[in-house]
Amino acid sequence: MSDTLIPETGMSTSATMRRNFWLGVWRVMKRKPSRMAGVVIIVGFAFMGVFGPMFFPDHLPDNPNAITQPPSWAHWFGTDPQGRDVVALVITGSRYVLLSAAVTALITVVFGTSLGLFSGFKRGRWDTVLMRITDMKLTIPGLPLLLVLATVWKFGSPIQMGLVLGLLGWGGVARAVRAQTLSLRERGFIEAARGLGLSTKHIISKELLPSMAPYIAMNMLIAVTGAVYAQVGLFFLGVLPYESDNWGVMLNLAVFQAGAMITTNALGYLLAPLLAILLLTLGIVLVVDAMDEIFNPRLREE
Amino acid sequence: MKRLAAVVALLGLATATACSSGSTNKSSSGGGGGLFTTIDVNRPGLDASAPANPYNPKGNSFSGFNAMRIAWVKNHLTDPNQALPGIAASWEIAPDNSAITLKLQPNAKWSDGKPVTAEDVKMSIGIAYTQGSTAFSVTPGAAGAAAEVTVVDPQTLKITQDMANPSPKFARGVLDTAVLPAHVWSGVLPADFWDKLKAARGEGADAEKARAEITTLGQKVLTFAPPKDVSAGPFVLERVNPGEALLVKNKNFYNAANVAPAQVKFLNYTGNEQIWNYLTAGKLDSSGFVAAPTDVMNRIKAAPGSEVIKGYSPVAVSMAFNQSKKPYDNVHVRRGLAYLIDRDQVTKVASPEGGTPAITTSGIHQKAAQAWIPDTLPKLEPYKPDVAKAEAEFKDAGLTKKDGKWLLADGKAWKVSMHAPAGFSDWLSAQENIKSQLIKAGVDAEVVTTTDYPLYLEELAAGKYDVGFWLMALGPAPYDIFQRLYGASNGWTNVAGKIEHSPAGKNGNWMGDPEQIEVDGAKINPGELTGKLNSATEDQAKPIMAQLATAANQDLPVIQLWDYVNNQFVNNSRFTGWPHDDEILRLGTGVLASGVWIQLGMVKSKQ
Repeated sequence: MSDTLIPETGMSTSATMRRNFWLGVWRVMKRKPSRMAGVVIIVGFAFMGVFGPMFFPDHLPDNPNAITQPPSWAHWFGTDPQGRDVVALVITGSRYVLLSAAVTALITVVFGTSLGLFSGFKRGRWDTVLMRITDMKLTIPGLPLLLVLATVWKFGSPIQMGLVLGLLGWGGVARAVRAQTLSLRERGFIEAARGLGLSTKHIISKELLPSMAPYIAMNMLIAVTGAVYAQVGLFFLGVLPYESDNWGVMLNLAVFQAGAMITTNALGYLLAPLLAILLLTLGIVLVVDAMDEIFNPRLREE
Repeated sequence: MKRLAAVVALLGLATATACSSGSTNKSSSGGGGGLFTTIDVNRPGLDASAPANPYNPKGNSFSGFNAMRIAWVKNHLTDPNQALPGIAASWEIAPDNSAITLKLQPNAKWSDGKPVTAEDVKMSIGIAYTQGSTAFSVTPGAAGAAAEVTVVDPQTLKITQDMANPSPKFARGVLDTAVLPAHVWSGVLPADFWDKLKAARGEGADAEKARAEITTLGQKVLTFAPPKDVSAGPFVLERVNPGEALLVKNKNFYNAANVAPAQVKFLNYTGNEQIWNYLTAGKLDSSGFVAAPTDVMNRIKAAPGSEVIKGYSPVAVSMAFNQSKKPYDNVHVRRGLAYLIDRDQVTKVASPEGGTPAITTSGIHQKAAQAWIPDTLPKLEPYKPDVAKAEAEFKDAGLTKKDGKWLLADGKAWKVSMHAPAGFSDWLSAQENIKSQLIKAGVDAEVVTTTDYPLYLEELAAGKYDVGFWLMALGPAPYDIFQRLYGASNGWTNVAGKIEHSPAGKNGNWMGDPEQIEVDGAKINPGELTGKLNSATEDQAKPIMAQLATAANQDLPVIQLWDYVNNQFVNNSRFTGWPHDDEILRLGTGVLASGVWIQLGMVKSKQ
């Protein structure tokens, strides 16, 4: 009798916990409207990256009689030096930027977390070796290395770009996750789990990871902004192949081709990609703020 | 303790920087109306530690200001040997171009008071040999190379041309040579330099060895740093910091009485955008050619005292084809593309201020073409935009159109892949516009960039690109104009006056025209014709140029897009008297024209 009851109770408890969790999320979200705005912004960007380019033809229409126009009703952010609508350029260019940022975030988190967890949990010789490798990786300056890499590799696809940025960025996450693991593994609940004879797999996936999930998720979002800055910077510097709707290329052309620092006509062309980056960062910051509270019970005001 | 030392060192550095910038400000204001502010358009980024050496790529030697040449070659439409006096007050060119006799300025002195003599000029010629200039080359059989340099008296030199392979622009090569002080530079050349040079011009292993030694000397010349600037020009270098270079008037300059500014300041810049800023703020008294979009140009013109002087620039830009790549080996494809591209539109978008749409592909700048081939020019096919003609040409080439898109003869997809160096915003803009025009006409296209210009040229020469932009029509010498189309990059090399053709893909031949091309039904060898221009007189050159222009027009190794306009930016607030004469708005390579205008006394102070 009891044998059959226990699993039932277990299932309903976990279902209740899940429901409570989402209720908690909703409550946290509702408390500050800015957090809702953050979610809306991120969902908006994801939508823009996935579906945005579908609203425009493969080749955006240009107009040699309306080059570098100031903002107007027809063109909210004006036109570029080819007479193309700047908003259309930002939207069609978002896919590359966001996809590579997502790939970067994924690699940073998966690589960094697994390395940090393994290192922190195993300790000993493995820890020493992995952490020295991590230290070495951390001493390599990212931007100069990217500049050198750009001369041999063309980063034609966003996946390639994301891969390289991700492989350059996991060091910090690995170190932080290892530190967290080292502290958590000495706590009572892990000791209890060990005492119960639960497997390492169970301890890592069911005990350690959930406690670190908020931390990892935040890192992932922050990695997105880092990746956007890095690649936009590289394109702005002109070291990566030119793609007219890339945000970094737009910034570069706005300053160096259209003269946005000199004439007001090109201001929209300069501001549009900047605003997109700013908005994305804002969205991420707001969501991170919400996450912090969801996962950190001490911050909950109730 | 270490930390303290570091702090002290940093503070010391900060004080030193503050002092130096303070004194600069003082000297600038002290000059009053006598301070002339400009930039060196040839060299972005001042290097405070670079020597005052005209051969050093980063050298703080400003040609026309603190660096002199024998004379300042002009930008004449047809005669390459015209020049304004520099260290040579006058010169005589033998009627057959076999020799030039230079008469130096009688009062020329170095800034340290020593006179400028024929020995200085001879040593400078020796230095020029180590760098391999056009007239002073140790390459065996080079065209237009000097044979003998003789000092006739302290004020006179005679330089003869090796008549085995003469060039009509020999005198230009001599006149366009930097003059350096022998008492500062003499240690750079070994005592037996002239014997070595003689040996180098012979044949055999000894000559090879001597040539190698002279080339090695070239490296020494590049890095040579005179302890201080000794100039024969109107100014002498006072100091350089990363923000600016300050030059003061050379009281010993032979025409010092007519040099208006007391000081010259070269401002540092890293890109065009910074120059636009200086110009819109009215900071610069003069700046050479800088590409600028129309909006920026209007802002510059609106700056108080600002004036843009437009002149002739013997340069055009073209879309060049690699004929080793299909389908560009087919002349009908090239012609079809020429009919599709609206050059007026390209120029309007890419270079509205700095260019004039090419009237057709002739290989010559339209202004020079009026002087060289006035009768042939109207007969050339203008390639006005015409979709029907383009389609007919494509069909002749065997291309097929499917679902509104042109495919290669074998049915595969065709994408016109255009390459340009990343920093060249006008080229990129042009390619983006061409891409759009082609896509609208059913020809798929893309724009690909290369990190910088040297790499671009290297990859272009290696045949890595299908289509790339290419500077052409580099006048004024007729050979120079056509060797851009039918020279080394297209397989024809001029060795010891003999023209040889290398097959496509070999010896830098990336254009890959066949050796014989058909023009008006007859076969001609354009490379050999171009080679003939090297020794032809003006009258002999004209019919050859007409033939070559027709060849370029029918064969289209490139599509000439726009001819550059030389925009000189000047400001009348502090100085006046700017020349408007095309011939002196642009001088030899690397020469800062405003320095020459100042030293000739054309520029006057307003106060």
